[in-house]
Amino acid sequence: MIWLELAIMQRALIGCMLAGFLSGLVGVFAVRMKLSAIGYSMSHGAFAGAALGVATSVNPLVTAMLFSSATALFIGPVADKARLHADTVTSIVFPLNMALAFVFLTLSPQVGLTSEVASVLWGSVISMSNSDVVYLTTLCAVTLVLVQFFWKELFAIMFNRKMAEADGIDTKPFVYFIIFLIGVVVTFSLKLVGGLLIFALLFNPASSALQFFHDMKKIVLVSPIIGAATCVAGLMLSLFLDLPVGSCIVLVSTFAFAFAVLLSPKRKRGEVIV
Amino acid sequence: MLQFQNSVTLCLPIGTVERILMRRKSIIRLENVSTTYEGERRPAIKKVNLILSENELLYVVGPNAAGKTTLLETINGLLQSSGGHVFVFGLDVRRHGRKVRRELGYVPQDFMVNPGEPYTALDIVMMGRYGKIGILHKPDKEDFEKAMEAMKHLGIDELADRSVGKLSGGQQQKVMIARALVKDPKVLLLDEPFSNLDPDSRERIPKLIARIHGKGVAIIIVTHDVSRILKQCRRVVVMKDGRIVADDNPERALTVFESPLISHPTEAIP
Repeated sequence: MIWLELAIMQRALIGCMLAGFLSGLVGVFAVRMKLSAIGYSMSHGAFAGAALGVATSVNPLVTAMLFSSATALFIGPVADKARLHADTVTSIVFPLNMALAFVFLTLSPQVGLTSEVASVLWGSVISMSNSDVVYLTTLCAVTLVLVQFFWKELFAIMFNRKMAEADGIDTKPFVYFIIFLIGVVVTFSLKLVGGLLIFALLFNPASSALQFFHDMKKIVLVSPIIGAATCVAGLMLSLFLDLPVGSCIVLVSTFAFAFAVLLSPKRKRGEVIV
Repeated sequence: MLQFQNSVTLCLPIGTVERILMRRKSIIRLENVSTTYEGERRPAIKKVNLILSENELLYVVGPNAAGKTTLLETINGLLQSSGGHVFVFGLDVRRHGRKVRRELGYVPQDFMVNPGEPYTALDIVMMGRYGKIGILHKPDKEDFEKAMEAMKHLGIDELADRSVGKLSGGQQQKVMIARALVKDPKVLLLDEPFSNLDPDSRERIPKLIARIHGKGVAIIIVTHDVSRILKQCRRVVVMKDGRIVADDNPERALTVFESPLISHPTEAIP
């Protein structure tokens, strides 16, 4: 494995593990708090933002973060104020973000599939820099600490938000905190799988872990491991078959989910898995 | 008429003194409260006035869609009233809802957990303590002991490590009651607590409620099953179409409840 000695590949491997771990962890909260629609829209918001960054020669990370936060704001508080159902807003925001992304990519100074444009679309771990790895490491550490601090509140909200409120827990800041985390994770994982596929990275590991355990603590431990493992396996597959990394990661991740469903003891007992 | 020791006599309208004393001791006070659900035009409860005193046991009965559950969730602030004022422990629930809810135990109606839910019965009961423990504090040994004690009272301590979704409806109901009790509430709000219970629990739960009431906890029980009203109960409220139509002792209130206009409104129309 001579390629592992290359710094660029070492960065790619570490980046894969960190992004997979992080999205697997945040994904559990997103799935259990029923934030899938928001996460879906935010990931495409980040895609549109990154495309704007490429078109205007601004750091795509910054614009991706801005766009995914704006999407979260639209779907969360703005929809609340406008008394619109989250589903309605999601249905409008998703195609809007996709349309904007393609408009921005067309406006790019180097029209066509340049490497930068392609990395926004499909991801490119090869372009992962040292600073990206540092960002991801810091984000992993901060997320783990915050989850540890607020575990009991998150645990209660994941069970039932209304009952958590009935016990005197202020649920809103925690839900917004998870939405914010989704935005950050999506933004920093864009380089890995690209804007079109990032959603799978967030939800497949959590959905796979939920097939096996009746203990939420085990799910929170196992989902990040599945996330990291599928990302590394996807990277290897892409190197051996010379295929896009993002697509390979999503294929492996989806295969892992299908495998989990097949083996699921819960499914065999006829339990509904949510 | 009031006569004080210094022989000053005050003339007050009849019932004023009783109302003032009632207000002083009241822990829940609803003044002209209406609650309308989002997207609805008609309020689910309309101009409700209600006072609950310390250590009072109150039953709320009425047909379906009378507004009984809405009343409970307006009291604990899970639903925002669209008119009037709700005071619990003298605090306006609109402004201090969270603080109030930490002292209120609430058992919702027909709360069923999916068999695949990754939580144990003990996890659910412990959650009742979380609001009281406060942010950034972790549950300690005392919290755990309180949870086990609450489960023991309900006879479900042996189910502590079982997945909550795999328990029977009655066992899940008891887990939710234990969750409400574990915070040592000053007021208990129980929404149809006798539904889903097995025959043994139907005997056990009323006895437990009577014991909790005996310890000085005020209790509001919403039920459609008037046969389960405890003998300790001195007051029953009857609701219909979002309004309180009777607020009296059990005998008189149940006469109103059982009248054709309340229980079988369609049959009453000639």
